[in-house]
Amino acid sequence: MATKKKRTPNVQNDSWVVMAADSVIDTQKHDSDPAFVRLRNPATDAASLYMLSSGDVQLFEVKAFEEDFHSWFVGQTVQRDGRLLFVTPMDPLYLIIPYLIKSGKECKFQPMDQVLMDEEFPACSRLLSCTGSLASLHHIAEEKEVEKLKFHRYSQEKTMNWLKKKVERTVIVLKARNISVGEGVKSTTYIRVKSESDYHEEDYLRHAHGMISEYLSEELSKALLKHLQLPELTSPKVTEPPSKKRKLSELPVEAGEDYTKFNSSDFARKPPKKMTAAQKSLAKVDKSGMKSMSSFFSPKVKAEKN
Amino acid sequence: MSSNTSVTRVLVSSVGEAQRVPVHLMPCEIEHNGPAQVSQYLTATTKDCKLEKTVSFRGRGLKGQELSCPNGYTGLVLKEINKSGSDQEDRTVKVSSVFDKLTYWNLETPPNSDDTVVMAMDWPELAEAIHGPVED
Amino acid sequence: MDLSPFETDNSVSCRLASQIPDVCRTEDCCLGIDEAGRGPVLGPMVYGICFCPVSKKQELKESKVADSKTLTEAERENLFQKLDEAKSYIGWALHIISPNTISTSMLQRSKYNLNALSHDSAIDLVQFALDSGVQLKEVFVDTVGPADKYEEKLSKRFPGIEVTVRPKADSLFPIVSAASICAKVARDHVVKGWNFAEDLGEVDSAYGSGYPSDPKTKAWLLKCLDPVFGYPQFVRFSWSTAQTLMDSKGVTVHWDDDDEDGEKAAQRHNNRSMLAYFSASAGGNDQNPTRQTHRFFTERRLKSLDTL
Repeated sequence: MATKKKRTPNVQNDSWVVMAADSVIDTQKHDSDPAFVRLRNPATDAASLYMLSSGDVQLFEVKAFEEDFHSWFVGQTVQRDGRLLFVTPMDPLYLIIPYLIKSGKECKFQPMDQVLMDEEFPACSRLLSCTGSLASLHHIAEEKEVEKLKFHRYSQEKTMNWLKKKVERTVIVLKARNISVGEGVKSTTYIRVKSESDYHEEDYLRHAHGMISEYLSEELSKALLKHLQLPELTSPKVTEPPSKKRKLSELPVEAGEDYTKFNSSDFARKPPKKMTAAQKSLAKVDKSGMKSMSSFFSPKVKAEKN
Repeated sequence: MSSNTSVTRVLVSSVGEAQRVPVHLMPCEIEHNGPAQVSQYLTATTKDCKLEKTVSFRGRGLKGQELSCPNGYTGLVLKEINKSGSDQEDRTVKVSSVFDKLTYWNLETPPNSDDTVVMAMDWPELAEAIHGPVED
Repeated sequence: MDLSPFETDNSVSCRLASQIPDVCRTEDCCLGIDEAGRGPVLGPMVYGICFCPVSKKQELKESKVADSKTLTEAERENLFQKLDEAKSYIGWALHIISPNTISTSMLQRSKYNLNALSHDSAIDLVQFALDSGVQLKEVFVDTVGPADKYEEKLSKRFPGIEVTVRPKADSLFPIVSAASICAKVARDHVVKGWNFAEDLGEVDSAYGSGYPSDPKTKAWLLKCLDPVFGYPQFVRFSWSTAQTLMDSKGVTVHWDDDDEDGEKAAQRHNNRSMLAYFSASAGGNDQNPTRQTHRFFTERRLKSLDTL
């Protein structure tokens, strides 16, 4: 067989396949066109791509579904770039929080237009004109009105309560869509064996917390974990590499965890909202054990795919 | 869009003239951007079986299925117009095509709910949960 | 020869057979196996069996069937006519392996080579004869590969049947010649009247013999090359002739399992996926490598972008 050619870099794209919320293309709503802009990512502090619709009424997040070795056929053309960009509505408060926290260090009530200033990302001031931005600031800040001028100061307590509601909303959808939320690799068969338990509820909470933490600084993510009364597991660095194939059901990876969680009859009847210190440490030991086990197994899973 | 100040404008009105087209996500990288005889080769030889579609591309067997766009979502193909050379300048894209379903293809593997692109379609609903307004 | 079952869908393989003569169900029979179209870069490969009572061997010899390769196309057609007329004691069956099956099998992740494909096809046909009640006692096979190994494989698979595998068996045993004629006639018909599944309008039919060495075939391959799709399913993509032309004149296509050999590819695959998991993909530039994207997103291969 002929020798295979090396891949050349895909230098300049000029077309993109996008899955866009209908509100992006709702021409009735807009008086001018939406635009991709770069704003400060609240989790990484680096630039990320977002979209602001016309008149800045709506903020969208841009995420790419990207797998190696993919391309598109679009009608009678081929597009080498095989990514699928998702443009989904985004709550501007997540982007505003870091600015509020920063200005809150001076412990003063401030007008928002002074808070939302960023030389590196000038577009951030436009977040204020997003529909609902001003109206929903009370979720994350205390408000004062002086002579019809509004002033705000970051409130951790309010923010935590607001984020908790976000987590709860997310849990509902995770359940409704039957999304696997177990720590690390968990097979669907494994979940089915389990009855709906409150241990499960914790898994959902953790999963939702993890997803929402994508929009929070590390400190805020930790604070939210505490607020949700979820014990910290281990450092996020050791987090399980996810596995696409959930075929590990036969492996004894989960057995230890299963055992701990259901060992006590107390758990089954009346699940405690808080773990005892002993249970906590037990859970910790156990989880970390599970991690090293499965990280040992996961490369094998990938290898089998080939 | 290397500069943080530049923006890429989407000419939304172009959606009116955009054609509805079939789109296929292929399990290979095709080092080409441009015209291709998709209907003549791919569509004409695709077979619709009960649980999957089958076709071959470059002599390799593919299995695939159709995926609808999530509720409240529309597939768009954006194309840059008047491409400028500079990174600093604002850019403009128009909607060149639209789609409400896509066909994705696996290399030899039958399509199933564990396929990453199927799972990725969970995202819009989860995004709505994470980003939708919270009641007081 | 009615080829319509294959022609209605020539992208998949197909088995065709004559009526089973009653006498073959009651008397001891011999059976010959041969193939046609192993070498060409175009069209199907056809495996054929022909069988008749051992007692009719002499009659078969007198009908002057000989190695189909030494015959002209017209002579072959003629002899097939004769075989068909002798349907009271001669039966045949064919396995038409579509070029698409050849391509996709040979290029499969777990490679399925042409020899294995041929052997399985031969075994399938003998089994078909047995299932139809043919009293098989002797099987003669023409082979390209090493004869003894193949003979052992078939003997094991069909205990109680005397299997003879020989190179050039088609010129040694009339029943193999007969099988060879059936296979070759079928292949000729199929190739001549190839029904292109692609929507290409009128396709130039001057593709010659289909052998890579035939200048007509070469010219046709050059002319019919589509830069993106390569060729219609009529062409065997697994042939180096086709591969080389696509490599030099077509668009380059990469698959996740190409370049290195299997083990190396698996390794690379692992490394890449592991890296993808561990890198903080949010924002693209790893300013904060300790932050890891949540597995909801990594499992779905979703990541933030910093540029369009």
